[in-house]
This record gives sequence, structure tokens and C-alpha cells, in this order.
Amino acid sequence: MTDNKTPLIRVENLTKQFSTTTALDNISNNIYNGEVVVVIGPSGSGKSTFLRCLNLLEVPTDGRIYFEGTDITDPHNNINKHRQKMGMVFQQFNLFPHMTILRNLTIGPMKLLKKSKEEAEKKALELLDRVGLADRADSYPNQLSGGQKQRVAIVRALCMEPDVMLFDEPTSALDPEMVGEVLDVMKMLAKNNMTMVVVTHEMGFAREVGSRVIFMEKGKIIEENEPKEFFENPKSERLKNFLNVVL
Amino acid sequence: MLDAIYKILAFFTSDATADRWFEQIYDNFIKDDRWTWLMKGLWVTIRLTFFAFIFGFLLGLIIAIIRVSHDKRVVMPRQSFLQRLGGIILSILNTICKIYLNIIQGTPTIVQIMIIYFVILASSTNKIGVAILGFTINSSAYVAEIIRGGINGVDQGQMEAGRSLGFGYIPTMIFIIIPQALKSALPALCNELVVLLKETSVASMVALQDLLAAAMLIRGRTANAFLPLIAAAIIYFVIVSILRAVSARLERRLNSGDR
Repeated sequence: MTDNKTPLIRVENLTKQFSTTTALDNISNNIYNGEVVVVIGPSGSGKSTFLRCLNLLEVPTDGRIYFEGTDITDPHNNINKHRQKMGMVFQQFNLFPHMTILRNLTIGPMKLLKKSKEEAEKKALELLDRVGLADRADSYPNQLSGGQKQRVAIVRALCMEPDVMLFDEPTSALDPEMVGEVLDVMKMLAKNNMTMVVVTHEMGFAREVGSRVIFMEKGKIIEENEPKEFFENPKSERLKNFLNVVL
Repeated sequence: MLDAIYKILAFFTSDATADRWFEQIYDNFIKDDRWTWLMKGLWVTIRLTFFAFIFGFLLGLIIAIIRVSHDKRVVMPRQSFLQRLGGIILSILNTICKIYLNIIQGTPTIVQIMIIYFVILASSTNKIGVAILGFTINSSAYVAEIIRGGINGVDQGQMEAGRSLGFGYIPTMIFIIIPQALKSALPALCNELVVLLKETSVASMVALQDLLAAAMLIRGRTANAFLPLIAAAIIYFVIVSILRAVSARLERRLNSGDR
């Protein structure tokens, strides 16, 4: 664990180029323990790419990312070890369809953290209960609704006992009536002081739960601030325009 | 024309025909326990199919993983020595696999079996071992393409989900990707098993005493081609039907779990 002065994740001059476009253009930012950083921006702004670079699902073209003081972009460091400490939640849930919910939750802790079956299942059921899905442990993912799947996906990441949770538009693939149940789980996490980086279109969540909001456009961080200032007193023209459209 | 039809009808309806049928059946199957030749031949065919399929499956799986890993490899801008070395080895293996697949899929099975039997392993006395090797090589090429299709059909998000938990590439493949790939490839794999079973009849051309060879042996003794060959055909058909039924059942059972 790091103290509050040194950042949990330090991003230095991060650039990501796809064949024809520059998705991230020389981004630097720090994410501190206990922060809930919400990243917003128009589609194609690079916000998902930014998030996916944090655990190297997307390989940066240039720049450094330090996680708990270690440069994870250094090929000599074992990224698999560091990813265990960075939970990730996807837009499309990506639960393992050939496993029961319980198996989805325990395979990581058992194979990677070398927990015993009993220990892993106890923890999984406890967390499953906290998101109200204890009775679905033996179901298969396709038997759940979208909102339930996403709650399970969050629990799957939590079972690894991560130091940070990365959310990649976690509510964008959900029917409107299921958005709330997923956001509630995320709020609960925030309340428990989980460090979170959230890419989302949910402005209400950003305002209510975020400790810092980042606005990205065309691969650059245009503006960042604590939520109240961010929404009530945007500085840049582009953020003003964006908020006018989405709010 | 009418004359010919009349002759055929007369042949099937006369009393003398019935006697001749019994006589021929006796000659072809019962005399000297000739039916046991067919059973022995069938046992060879089954063993050959079974082992060739298992080994072909394993070899095909390895080839498929090499091909997919190569095609989906993400090249890091900064690489350690081991990563660079791994990339080179993977490229070499991939090229070998591609050539192998091209050759095996681009030549007739019978030619492959004959080359292995008469040229490469001419000195071996283990006929069934040689035949298993030949059909393993042949089948692996088709299985590799089937499994590769299955792996490519698994949603990209599955790999990402596995990796994001902290699983390495190979564990993610083993625990998450391959089980799903095999499930979707199951119908094609069962079909390959059926094709392989039928294709092993080619082994009779290299003096292996399989089912077809046994039928031909009976024909040599009785000078009657019809009954032994029909018997062999029926046996092949029955086995194939059983395999089809089992695979359909397996598929239904797997599909009841998810999706």
C-alpha cells in the first residue's frame, strides 16, 4: 500500500497511436489512493483507451505507467502480477459463459492467489450477497439479466482484492432500468474507499460520487476538477459545449 | 430392357433364389467362421480411428494454438530479450505449421498413407502403428483448422477478461478460451471423426487388415464381391450412425448449460 502522497497510478507522457489515428496524445496524470476519478468525453476522445492502457490491455506506443511505484510498461516487470491488483469491469461484462457464477468468481483467487476452494467460495459468496445475488451462485451467466451480469463482473474483480478498480463504461450496455443497480454497487465501493477510475456517460454518478472529473477530447485531457467546480464552473469552451449537450 | 427387368424379378422371387441366398450367406460369413474376419477387421478399424483421432486432435490443438497466438500477437514497443526471442520462435513455428497444413491439405490421403507406409517407414513391421501415424498426421491438419476457427470465434472480451484478472496468455487460453472454442467446434470435430473412420478404409490399400480388407479377403475366397462388401458397408454405416447420435446428444447436453 502506498501513502496518500505518492500516487497509486502515475501516468507519464502516455501516447497511443493506432495505425491512422492518435488515440492518446502525451497524457500525464496521477491517481491517488481512495480517489474516484471519473473520465468523461465524447466518443472517440480516447477515454476508454486511456483506461485500458492503465492495465496494459492496450499497449501504449510511448510513455510510462507506474503502478504502486513500479513501471509496468517495463517489459521486465511481470504485468500479470500487477493486473491482479487492478480489477477491471467491462462494458460487455465478459463473464465466462462456460462457468457458473461461483466458478467465475473463484477461478482467479484459486489459480492466481492460491486460495483454497473453501476460502475462495466463502469470500465470493459473501461479496455476492452484498450485491444481492447470493442465490445466483450456481446459475450460468446467460441466465442473468444485464444488470445482474455486471454486478457479478464487479464482484469477480473484487474477489481478487484489488487496490484499484477500472470501469470501462460499465452501464453503457445496460437497459435503462438496470443502470441504477450497477451504479449503487459502485457507490458502495466508493463509500468503502476503493480507488476507482471510471469511464462513463453517467453525469449524475460523476457529480455525486466522483472526487475528480477528467474531461478528454481528441486524446488529450482538456480539463479536470473536483465535480462541483467541474460541472458548475467549466473553464474551457469545449467542456462548456460538451456539458450543454449532455446535461 | 423388359427382358432384363423380368430376369431380375424372377431372380428375386423364385424358390431357387432363397436357397442360393442361404448358400451364399453361409459361404461368405459362416463357413470357416469368416464373420470373425470382419469382426477382427472392424476392431482394427476402430483402434486405428480412435488413436488417430486422439493424437490428431492433440497435434491439431497445438498447431491451432500456435497459429492463433502468432496471428493475434501484440508486439510491444519495448521488449525484453525473452519476449523478442519468444516472438522469433513463434514466427518460426507458425511458418512450419502453415507449410505442414498446406502440404497435408493439398495432397490426397491415400498418397500420404502410401508415402508413409512404403517410403518413410518401409522397414517397420508394426502396420497399425504406421497407419495410426499416417492418419494422425492427416487428421491433425483438419482438426487444427477446425479448432482455429473455434478459437477465433470466441469473443475477444474473454481474453481481455482473463488477462485483466492476472492470468497469463497460456492459462487464459487453457481455462477460458479453449473450453469455449472446443464447444463451438464440437459438431465439426464429430464430423471429422466420422470422416476419419470412413477414410481409414484406405489403410486396406497398404495391407492393413481393417474392415474393408477383411471383406476383400472373403471375396478372394468365395469369388463373391457383393455380400462381403455390402456387409462392410452396413457395418461402417452403423458405426457412423452411432457416432452421429452420440455427438448430437453431447451437443444438446452442452447447449443446455449456457447460451
